[in-house]
Amino acid sequence: MAVLDDLRAPAETRAERRERERRERYYAASQWTLIWWRFRRHRAAMAGLAVLGLMAFLGLFAEFFAPYGQTTRNAQYLNGAPQWPMFCDANGCSARPFIHGTRTERDPVTLRSRAVPDPDMRLYVRFFVEGEPARLLGFLPISTRFFGVDGGGRIHLWGTDDLGRDVFSRTLFATRTSLSIGVMGVVISFVLALIIGGVAGYFGGIVDSVIQRVTEVIRVIPVIPLYMGLAAAMPRDWTTTQVYFAMTLILGLVGWPTLARRIRSQLLSIRNEDYVVAARLAGARPSRIIATHMLPSFTSFIIVDLVISFPYMILSETALSFVGLGLRPPAVSWGVMLQQAQSVRVIEQTPWLFIPAAFVVLAVLAFTLVGDGLRDAADPYSEAR
Amino acid sequence: MDRLLSVENLSISFRTDEGPITPVQGVSFGVDRGRTLGIVGESGSGKSVSTKALMRLLPGSASLSPETRMRYRAKNGETVAIETLKPRDRALRRLRGGEIGMIFQEPMASFSPVYSIGNQMIETIRLHRGLGGRAARDLAVEMLAKVGISSPETRVDQYPHEMSGGMRQRAMIALALSAGPALLIADEPTTALDVTIQAQVLDLMRDLQRDLGMAMIFITHDLGVIAQIADEVAVMYLGTIVERGPTREVIRRPLHPYTRGLLEAIPAIDRLDARLKPVPGDIPSPSQRPSGCPFRTRCPEAVPGLCDRAAPRETAVGEGRAVRCHLHDAARAAA
Amino acid sequence: MARFVLERLLGMVLTLFLVSIMVYFIMELPPGDYADRFAFRKYSGTGVTVTEAMIEEIRRDLGLDRPAYLRYFDWISGIVLRGDFGMAYSFLTPVTNVLGDKVWLTLGLLFATLLITYAVSIPIGIYAAVRRGSAADYGLTVFSYLGLALPNFLLALIMLYCANRWFGASVGGLFSPQFENAPWSLAKVWDLVKHLWLPAFVLAWSAVAYQLQTVRATMSDELNKLSVVAARARGVPETRLLVKYPARLAINPVVSTIGFDVNRIFSELPIVAAVLGLTELGDLLLKAYLDLDMNVAGAILLMLTTIIVVMNFVSDLLLGWLDPRIRMGA
Repeated sequence: MAVLDDLRAPAETRAERRERERRERYYAASQWTLIWWRFRRHRAAMAGLAVLGLMAFLGLFAEFFAPYGQTTRNAQYLNGAPQWPMFCDANGCSARPFIHGTRTERDPVTLRSRAVPDPDMRLYVRFFVEGEPARLLGFLPISTRFFGVDGGGRIHLWGTDDLGRDVFSRTLFATRTSLSIGVMGVVISFVLALIIGGVAGYFGGIVDSVIQRVTEVIRVIPVIPLYMGLAAAMPRDWTTTQVYFAMTLILGLVGWPTLARRIRSQLLSIRNEDYVVAARLAGARPSRIIATHMLPSFTSFIIVDLVISFPYMILSETALSFVGLGLRPPAVSWGVMLQQAQSVRVIEQTPWLFIPAAFVVLAVLAFTLVGDGLRDAADPYSEAR
Repeated sequence: MDRLLSVENLSISFRTDEGPITPVQGVSFGVDRGRTLGIVGESGSGKSVSTKALMRLLPGSASLSPETRMRYRAKNGETVAIETLKPRDRALRRLRGGEIGMIFQEPMASFSPVYSIGNQMIETIRLHRGLGGRAARDLAVEMLAKVGISSPETRVDQYPHEMSGGMRQRAMIALALSAGPALLIADEPTTALDVTIQAQVLDLMRDLQRDLGMAMIFITHDLGVIAQIADEVAVMYLGTIVERGPTREVIRRPLHPYTRGLLEAIPAIDRLDARLKPVPGDIPSPSQRPSGCPFRTRCPEAVPGLCDRAAPRETAVGEGRAVRCHLHDAARAAA
Repeated sequence: MARFVLERLLGMVLTLFLVSIMVYFIMELPPGDYADRFAFRKYSGTGVTVTEAMIEEIRRDLGLDRPAYLRYFDWISGIVLRGDFGMAYSFLTPVTNVLGDKVWLTLGLLFATLLITYAVSIPIGIYAAVRRGSAADYGLTVFSYLGLALPNFLLALIMLYCANRWFGASVGGLFSPQFENAPWSLAKVWDLVKHLWLPAFVLAWSAVAYQLQTVRATMSDELNKLSVVAARARGVPETRLLVKYPARLAINPVVSTIGFDVNRIFSELPIVAAVLGLTELGDLLLKAYLDLDMNVAGAILLMLTTIIVVMNFVSDLLLGWLDPRIRMGA
């Protein structure tokens, strides 16, 4: 039989078969698979995703990757310059990277003592060294660090701040704080948007008009001053944790209107679709109709909006902490770290304190690229091209 | 005969992400002064693209084949080689609008929504007739009156969104005619209109053509409309003309299976009980052009071993008639 | 048209009313009230121990013991009827004295910023759309991504550094030292203009990046419209065609988002002001928040928001003027 089929059907070349199989897979794929396929073709968006993944990974396991704790001080190395591992110096080369140790010296002009590199002292870089004990993910006790130097010395990849704290380690901890505040802020604003936008869009009419007015008012007040007003109200004696949660709440409280508008307009547009009316006639509760019948039809748009709102959260947190109305030391976030870099003098003398800013730019850029990639991928009409 | 426009071997290719496609292949047609050519075909047959090429309105991704010849006899007696014009040529600007006018399927989208009808008409009149100020405005009002718009003095200052669909299409015709073209290209001008208004617009166009002594190329997918307005017809399928000839002859005695299919697909009021017979299948996309005769995949009379091997050539059959089909090749060879 | 204006005007008044409630809510939010802060301010360093009774007395004198809606009514009627924003406790003087001509400085900065934003983003956005896919277009896309990612305070610092480096010291602030407290004169205005460009540039940065993308996207859409093809088929010369047909419509979304731009600019203002040492409302707002001087903060927040609401109204009017479909309510 198979032989007969082969004879009758015009011979299918290998390329044709591959094409046919590709098409069959395409027709059988689910919505999410299709979105993923289209997303994968966006090189910039994939790069953004990789950057975010790396940041989240480093932040999550900061206790392992950071050689020192976020408040650990090195009193011998204040405002110290970055120490890049090298393979060669005036005394020859080595297969194992090393840094130079430091010795304290008095500045001939200012007479202040300062740390200067000692080219005759080599500190070799080692991986998986013993360090300060900490708790990984908050519960797993570890004392092994990803890297360090031997001989009891310290390595400060990205230098130290004016208190001698390691900028590299602090940046990793800050990454965790800033990203997690963004996530929490987005989640809170999403929940609020879902409830408020859902009520407005499902019920319509006067409820909708009132909610629209209130949304309008929140949107018209300039965002950062509004955030600042709410943040200023936080009692000064609150603990770091209290401030942290208050910040997420504030970001969420101010962030919902844009998303709520999107949900509302989507709901309004499908409110009178036959399948929604059918569900209503069948006696389903509003919350159930919204959740199981209406939301799934535009989930992909909501996800895109969520991703796009991340940069605003991160930039807002950074800005607030930068001017001293957000997180406060000893908490450490990108904005808190940048508080030390408020003047031109810092750019001239200790430019490495700006390294957290590079993280802010990178994270915002990555979220924007991923958001754009997702938006293109989620739009079924983009397939035409 | 006084040839106004002749097009020979028009082939158009587009660069796309999936490689080049050629939606128009070796099309030849012509129009005489004061006559009407109808081009009929389904969407995707290349009829709109062909006329856009005449006005050099194709996007940058399109290119004409080197064999393409498009000759137009201008009002001043010169012959313009359209395919050689540069994009910034004055001659091209004079050709567009001044020599050849064009109207489109969607009158709403053809007007800019933020300028009044009069503004856009006066702009055209200034460009092509050298009239300014009061005179240009008077001519605009006169043209609106000519296309049957009531109280043209007030309508001239109205915006497109203030008019009904039929009135907008009349205004569009007035706009195209205000520059005084010798040839009007109408790209499905009645498709977006109600049936009753369709008939009015068709009547209007026929009257205007007679009054102004203008030639016309009328593009539609509806052979019924062609029967009312065109002197000659060209039937297009997948980028080639499969049959052409005087309209009455083609309709009375269609030779190509595709033309027959199109005729059978027209609903007739006196045959209400008869089922409509649509042409089976869909027009393939230009990127998946069948081998041999492009119509063979939908042709009820396709001959295996012949139609899928070689593309049929155009065969002249009688006065001004031609058909591109192997069946007629065979018939002629047998005769 | 009259109806169109009236509708927008009523909407504006209603929005302003709701905004004022919201602002008052924020003013009342921090723990403690005006009486607390006033008392501590007045008696700190005098050796007097502030008692609960003394605070209570101040509170009664100022009518602060009454319910919130009455106090709101006092506040808002003072503003609307007498232009009285209350007392600034940290300066022990009426808020209006503290604000002084800072309102005008802020407006000047705002308009300078808007001018830069539109003068840059509209022509370049149109150019990028017309030359779609070219190296210039690609470069602009990269720029606008970066523009949106770079926090404004960082940009302010970089600009400050560069300006210090290449133009000498006096670039921060809004005035040179000799003009800071001088009465207004032509020389002072010129001095202001010389200082204004830096903060205006910093504030315009992200607005430019955003509007550039908007203009480019709308212009690309408009270029493919049938009306453009139709105009070309009528023989309209190419440059004139681009300006009259697609470009004219491509600025509509820009006009409709003037309010958003003002919002964005005011949003960044306090932080940029802190870095650049600007002495206008943004800087004062930040200080007032840090000192919990809520009468000053509330007054500024209300002013900034009022400017945004008015600019929204202006943008509605402009849009109605530009687009007959909106003007006629179609």
